[in-house]
Amino acid sequence: MVRLKSRYLLCEVCVSDRRNLLLLDDRAIYSATKTAVARAHGDYGAALSSLGFSVKYLNAHTGIVFLRCRKSHYRLIWSALPFITRLEIRGQRVPCFLNCLHVGGTIRTCQKFLVRYNTQQLHRMLPLCQSEAERSEIRKSVLSCTLKKEADDDEEEEDE
Amino acid sequence: MAVFMDFNISYTTDKKRLQSVIETAAHLGYSTVAINYVVDLEQNKQEIGKPKCVSELFDTFPIVQGKSRPIKVLNRLTVVASRAAHFKPLREYKAYDLVAAYPKTEKLFHAACMEFTIDIICVAATEKQPFFFKRSSVNGAIERGVFFEVSYTPAIRDSTMRRHTIANALNLMEACKGKNVIVTSGAEKPLELRGPYDIANLGLLFGLSEEDGKAAISTNCRAVHLHGEMRKTALGIVHSMKNEQPSTERWEKEDVPASKRAKIEMAQ
Repeated sequence: MVRLKSRYLLCEVCVSDRRNLLLLDDRAIYSATKTAVARAHGDYGAALSSLGFSVKYLNAHTGIVFLRCRKSHYRLIWSALPFITRLEIRGQRVPCFLNCLHVGGTIRTCQKFLVRYNTQQLHRMLPLCQSEAERSEIRKSVLSCTLKKEADDDEEEEDE
Repeated sequence: MAVFMDFNISYTTDKKRLQSVIETAAHLGYSTVAINYVVDLEQNKQEIGKPKCVSELFDTFPIVQGKSRPIKVLNRLTVVASRAAHFKPLREYKAYDLVAAYPKTEKLFHAACMEFTIDIICVAATEKQPFFFKRSSVNGAIERGVFFEVSYTPAIRDSTMRRHTIANALNLMEACKGKNVIVTSGAEKPLELRGPYDIANLGLLFGLSEEDGKAAISTNCRAVHLHGEMRKTALGIVHSMKNEQPSTERWEKEDVPASKRAKIEMAQ
């Protein structure tokens, strides 16, 4: 059975300043990753990353990205991700780094992992809440996190 | 999920920066970190001072991502060695949880592998190593339980340093076949840290196999931590703890004869 297998890398973009996060653009991440792979692995890397590499999903509020690449070469592209130090978004240079959370074979498995991860994040935010209203909001979102809805179901409370 | 540790966070006098680095490490999933005090005895007659008390940094330590325990912070000393005489003082080493050496010459590297009471030997990351690793010294170190450390932050900062780091790491792998290696950051800023799975993958670039890469940040690090503790406690047999109350006060109420009192104290 001939089937083009791919790997989806679930990455989180970590920035020092949260407001810069909202300007995220999938083209910025695409170009940053391509240049990083080209610098780390030369022409071979650049050729590999032009073959079936794309940014499938981006959530500007939480900084989650899905990168898709071929199964035969995903390790090479993954090994160049730690060398990304900044993104160029609309002329601005934002220092950041990508943290890979999960590697999945399909978008659906990555989504399942993401839902679990987001519920974990909400649990982590619970003791940091200041007001009772925020706390009940978080509890509601935790209970409503399912796969049927979109994967970015966590309401990110600004200014934790 | 294995326990991930990072043993090289450079000490800065800026408390806020150190706090943010440790918080980022907790967010990424590291359960233990070590603050590294680098001492270069050659340059300006620096004394090996006492490390700062860890509880001064945080009132409550940040909780590790994915677990419910707070992050553990250790103290580590790195001695940049260009002469064997630098390793005499042993009393100050007791205050640190981990001791590392950064040998600059072949003779010192051999001595560090075989004789010095240290836990970690640093492999140069910012310059091409002037000497090659000999199998005999490396095997001696592996038998003693000393680990070799490769640091990855210079590779992130600069391209020429990247080449040096990879070259030195590959050199090391040829000599040690991937055993007894740990990979650590040398982070000064929170943006220089990387997640544990990313580093396990970086191990591939350094010549480690896939399982060696994962071991480099989990099981080997744990072995280093235990080695450091064992070094403090004289081969792991005697462990001294501070006694809160003076013991004579406790036993004065009960009328225990003096000879029996001594036996009871020893048995505790």
